[in-house]
Amino acid sequence: MAQNKTKKDIHPFLNELAILFPVAILAGLGLIMIHSASASISFSEHGTAFHYVQKQLVFCALGFLVMFIAASVPYKILNPLAYIILVSAFIFLAAVKIPGLGVKAGGAYRWLKLGGMSFQPSEFTKLAMVIFLAYSLNKKQEQIHRFFVGFFPHLILLGLLSLLILSQPDLGSVVILGAITWGMMFVAGVRLLHLASLIPIIIPLVYFQVYKIPYRMERLFAYLYAWDDPQDTGYQITHSLKAFGSGGLFGKGIGLGMQKLHYLPEPHTDFILSIIGEELGLFGVLIILVLYGIILMRGARIAKEADTLFGTLTAAGLTIALALQVTINTGVTMGLLPTKGLTLPFLSYGGTSLLISMAGMGILMNIGSHKKS
Amino acid sequence: MAPGKKPDSKAKTNQGINARITFLQWALVFVMLLLAMKAVDIQIFQSSELTQKAEKEYIRQITVNGKRGDIVDRNMKKLCITIDTLSVAANPRMVVDASATAKKLAEILGVNRKKLQKNLESKKSFVWIKRKISPSESEKIKKYNFKGIFFKDDLIRFHPQKELAAQVTGITGSDGKGLEGIEFQYNKILNGESRRITIEKDAAGRYYSEEKDLRDKLKGDTIVLTIDSTIQFIAEKALEQAVTEHKAKSGMAIVMIPSTGEILAMAHAPAFNPNSFTDFERDRWRNRSVTDPFEPGSTMKVFVAAAAMELEIATPMSIFFCENGKYRVGRSTVHDTHEYEWLTLKQIIKYSSNIGAIKLSEIMGKKQLYNTLLSFGFGKESGIECPGDSPGLLSHYDRWSAIDTAAISFGQGISVSAVQLINAISAIANGGTLMRPRIIKEIKDSNGEIRQPFVPESIKRVISKSTAIKVKDMMRAVVEEGGTATQADLNGYSVCGKTGTAQKVSKSGGYSKSRYTALFAAFAPMENPELAVLVVVDEPPKSHYGGVVAAPAVKKIFSESFHYLKIPPDINTKTEHNQ
Repeated sequence: MAQNKTKKDIHPFLNELAILFPVAILAGLGLIMIHSASASISFSEHGTAFHYVQKQLVFCALGFLVMFIAASVPYKILNPLAYIILVSAFIFLAAVKIPGLGVKAGGAYRWLKLGGMSFQPSEFTKLAMVIFLAYSLNKKQEQIHRFFVGFFPHLILLGLLSLLILSQPDLGSVVILGAITWGMMFVAGVRLLHLASLIPIIIPLVYFQVYKIPYRMERLFAYLYAWDDPQDTGYQITHSLKAFGSGGLFGKGIGLGMQKLHYLPEPHTDFILSIIGEELGLFGVLIILVLYGIILMRGARIAKEADTLFGTLTAAGLTIALALQVTINTGVTMGLLPTKGLTLPFLSYGGTSLLISMAGMGILMNIGSHKKS
Repeated sequence: MAPGKKPDSKAKTNQGINARITFLQWALVFVMLLLAMKAVDIQIFQSSELTQKAEKEYIRQITVNGKRGDIVDRNMKKLCITIDTLSVAANPRMVVDASATAKKLAEILGVNRKKLQKNLESKKSFVWIKRKISPSESEKIKKYNFKGIFFKDDLIRFHPQKELAAQVTGITGSDGKGLEGIEFQYNKILNGESRRITIEKDAAGRYYSEEKDLRDKLKGDTIVLTIDSTIQFIAEKALEQAVTEHKAKSGMAIVMIPSTGEILAMAHAPAFNPNSFTDFERDRWRNRSVTDPFEPGSTMKVFVAAAAMELEIATPMSIFFCENGKYRVGRSTVHDTHEYEWLTLKQIIKYSSNIGAIKLSEIMGKKQLYNTLLSFGFGKESGIECPGDSPGLLSHYDRWSAIDTAAISFGQGISVSAVQLINAISAIANGGTLMRPRIIKEIKDSNGEIRQPFVPESIKRVISKSTAIKVKDMMRAVVEEGGTATQADLNGYSVCGKTGTAQKVSKSGGYSKSRYTALFAAFAPMENPELAVLVVVDEPPKSHYGGVVAAPAVKKIFSESFHYLKIPPDINTKTEHNQ
């Protein structure tokens, strides 16, 4: 009991070193690699080599502040706020459609402009979905095995959110959102039969989504036949592979990569891992995978040891969301999955992604400080 | 606020939940291992193959050509240099607003806007916009900071002294290859070394290498000409004045050092600016003094006279009957401009009697005449270092008829280049030795060390010294009172020369009555000639006598050159006390 008490005296932020250290290392490494990857692009676009790294430094500082605050606030406060959070996610997603608020970038309306700051509602939606599902699955725990209680309503919610996000369009976020929903229902004890019933529904849906929209087709073909057309559709994937491949075991050294010099598009965002692969080699890539592994294993343990079911489900959801983001991004850069447009948490350039991921880690830390006795 | 769970069921569900979390943990481990394996695969097993594929894109083997060497005059004054400039290019893939960019660039660079816009909208990753732009153009473009537009280092050949000696140095095309003159003839030496190097470039085609430094390191040799810029300028001005004053078609002037064969000036009119040579007719580019032979007219008589004395057929005082200005050779009749009865050999030269020259040639015979002209360097290449060294036309004496022999003795039916003529005159001036005419003094490497010196080369002794002195004396008489070139008489200097007034061959075959070549070849001072000067004026429409059209220009060149070279006067003249 005494031991428990001393542990409780430590602030949750410092209690979960298995999360804090890896996150700090990844974010720090992210700054270095974002600078290395973006310097040339930044110079030709903005006339200074430091445009992106400076912005990311600000995001990093804000991110740690957000993580600290989230770790300090008792997570149980999120339970009654679940509906508010969900509704605001809907509002944000809808607001993207409003001219003047929504910002078009790269052919899609994925951004919301709020007082000079750009913000990606789909990133927030992932966190909101985790909190709401934890709330809902916890509330319905008694009847979780019933199709119309434990399964179907969540599916409808997912469908509604997906429709909004797909209209941006942003298939990648929908896939992650669907996988989070599926994973959390699985953890919460939804019947496997119900979960499995999704498979025959999802496959034609994805098929339809891919074949209806030409650029997704292109991306899919690019993924399948990258080397057949390395100049056009396979451009990103082949250059990502060239980056990894030319990095070898220990890499060329930080700053010495060639692919970021306007060969590989998005070197500081979606394909930051390829640049790490080129400059730090297999060694660097494996260390990064291990760092994520430590956070994720710690997340799973926090979920298992949480003092309430809401805590367990929230922690599991946050961990699943992070795991999906990491594995899908890594899979894409290594050519195992078609191009998705997802960032690598903590490492990639991008404010919303970083702040939301940090907030999630803060919540996870707080849950970690509330263990069942 | 409380989760509201019943404690009994919670333990049970917790167990199930933890089991499912554990299952997901294993799934995660499995996926992470899969990713790690894939990383090992591409970064170790496929590494060399992927590296090769990557390097193929950004590693290029290129040939770096050394910067082209300079061409300078004998005092190291620069005539042709290579300067750094910029060329502007685009990566159309990165161009944001092709239409606006094309509009601005077309304005600044004066290029076709539609064509440029089409280029900027293409799917290529590299297109040239304009090569070798001016500094003010590049400044303007830099201000706009267009996306996808960038500069490449380039080189431009520049003649700081513009028209000066342009036909001698020649010109270089935008590809760095010499097209005319020394630029053409010594292209390889000027170009310097080239080296293949490996360079890295980014997707926009920009290079990251030491290419520019290497270009300077591999710089070609410097060619030092025998030309003296000042004398070249003097000659060009005097020639231009003669050509303009007499409304002639064109003209040439050469200044040579008789003792060494070095050419100090080789001027041509009309001139052209080699910095924008494409704006001028091609005809003006070449070094006509070397490439374009002409009929030399009476200037040939000095060689006939020299041969007659060398062969001891005549002395300066030997007299010849000049047929009262009319002499039949075969079916043709030859006229003198003035009617003479008897003339000494000296007078034949002084008054330039055609009939007198014919009489001499009849005595020595066509074989001797042919051999004489051949030994003075006519009918074969002069050996100068310029391209297109013309041998002129001197057919074999076997094919000469009586009238051919007669005509050749006064410079018809034979053609010579200006450099051949001044070289032959120099042989008389220097006391009888034919030198190889030279335009290159030496070749220096880029550090200024002499790589190859060019020394005076005597081809052979053509006439004895005593004969040379006799010929010089006759040529002096040409300039003195009563001679054909009194307008070349220069105060204080003993100018010796011989005029030529050659009818040009007309298109119909015979000789034209209106188109002439007026020329005057001279040297001074008589005893030890410092300079030999030839001025040739082509087709002066009114007065066509060499002594009227060409002689004043020669005098001007002597006068100003002697002043510049600080060569003291060698004779006292009546006008001395006027000064």
